[in-house]
Amino acid sequence: MGVFISSLRVPKSGSTPRECEDAVAAFPPADPETWLTDPVSVAISDGASESLLAGEWAALLTDSVVDAVRDDQYLLHDDRHVASALVDAAVQWRRWVGEYVARRVGNGRPIAWYERPKLDRGPHATVLAARFDHHPASLSTSWTAAALGDTCLFHTRGARLLHAFPLESAAAFGNSPGLVNGFSHDHALLAHHVQTASGTADQGDQFFLCTDALAAWFLAETERGGHPGETLCNFTRSGDLAGFETWLGDLRSAGAMGNDDVTVVHVDLG
Amino acid sequence: MTYAAEISRSNPTCFLFLVDQSASMGDPIGGEVPQRKADVVADAINRLLTELSVKCAKEEGVRDYFHVAVIGYGHAVGSAFTGTLAGRDLVPLSEVAENPARVEERRKKVPDGAGGLVETASSFPVWLDPVANGGTPMCRALSYAESLVSRWLAEHPGCFPPIVLNLTDGESTDGDPTAAASTIPLQVSTDGSVLLFNLHVSGAGASPTTFPDSDASLPDAYSRTLFGMSSPLPPHMRSYAAQQGFGTSDATRGFVYNADIASVVQFLDIGTRATDLR
Repeated sequence: MGVFISSLRVPKSGSTPRECEDAVAAFPPADPETWLTDPVSVAISDGASESLLAGEWAALLTDSVVDAVRDDQYLLHDDRHVASALVDAAVQWRRWVGEYVARRVGNGRPIAWYERPKLDRGPHATVLAARFDHHPASLSTSWTAAALGDTCLFHTRGARLLHAFPLESAAAFGNSPGLVNGFSHDHALLAHHVQTASGTADQGDQFFLCTDALAAWFLAETERGGHPGETLCNFTRSGDLAGFETWLGDLRSAGAMGNDDVTVVHVDLG
Repeated sequence: MTYAAEISRSNPTCFLFLVDQSASMGDPIGGEVPQRKADVVADAINRLLTELSVKCAKEEGVRDYFHVAVIGYGHAVGSAFTGTLAGRDLVPLSEVAENPARVEERRKKVPDGAGGLVETASSFPVWLDPVANGGTPMCRALSYAESLVSRWLAEHPGCFPPIVLNLTDGESTDGDPTAAASTIPLQVSTDGSVLLFNLHVSGAGASPTTFPDSDASLPDAYSRTLFGMSSPLPPHMRSYAAQQGFGTSDATRGFVYNADIASVVQFLDIGTRATDLR
């Protein structure tokens, strides 16, 4: 029993890779060539375009949450434990942003008046975390996931979509998803908005973790009777970033996908 | 579908402010705190430019999702920017943000969280000073806006439709502005007609009104004329107005009477909104 993990990340058209505000963290690190038999923890996040430092917050959030999920097998079963992990990330953010402000002053480019309101308000990002534990005796893999916002997990078997989490239809996506704020310490509020899911997978099943534009396309394609997982496998299994970018460009030009940062993590059970 | 075009650096749109700077703007508006109309519209423009700059701010600077013009009309019609931007029409928003004429410190009272108020200081960038001088050539100003928008659309045919926001006491001295206003929505991008909104500052004393759907409660012919000139809010803007607590219907127009119009910036989509959990 084991998995391959691969990920692809593409900025919105007109932005540079450095400006992409999606982030991924995985333990062990994603590598489409390596068969992983130990438990796997993955987190994916989508920073809100209107925020300042949204990409940096998304990166810190995924790193912090993956560490927490790796260290606690049961964390994703309980929304209160997930909320604690999010508050821990916010504590780290406060430290990070203090150092950032000092760096800006040191570099002779202090925070400008137009940055200050957003800096004080804190950045916003979605988060989805998942953990996969293998059970050789039963030839199965148990999975747990938690989400806040519209970053989604899809579990497929062959051409069938078995599970879509937390959103289940293309129509459910909007412009104001639930978001984790970098200064949020309201444990109860976060727990209220966190959703959790779990299940069991067979060898050969596939999981796709997608930020919103790709997730909305995935569900729309499924609703049209298509097999989006098979399409994504063409790029993720070979790590074909250039092909993925071209394919996304065609979808965006045709109006079949919004122009947004896109990230997919493929957890491939062989 | 209209009013759905992405607003981005590769597909920016423009925002034109028309500011009445005529002598009658030296008169006070109604309300508990008497203020000169000229002060009210200058503050409104400076706040709108601040809101727009903050909305588009990223860590590397302000992104040029918008190009902005501030056109004054009074003794003359033309750019009303002061400071280093003086004399310029459409300016990329990043340049606007980097070049206020000055940044004042203003004090305001905010809730202290315990039922009281506490005074705090905040930065208030200024690009436009109050002016009250000369007649009110609103028809010429609207024609000037139409020509700027027309040039913009020739270069950006697929943009989110430009927005023209006219701030005035409504007392046009070069004729009925209705005809000049009616040509502005005839300018179109592939995404829809140019939007004309109006902020009416008045001493007539009626209740402040934001985004009404009829002119029934408006106090005089000036306000009814400006209401009639204003574009209906596109559906997604009506939806944002409703989220902000304003009553809306299909007939809701981009018109505000003696009230804050800064909320219009929140009607503009530049990507995922940074909203807090509730």
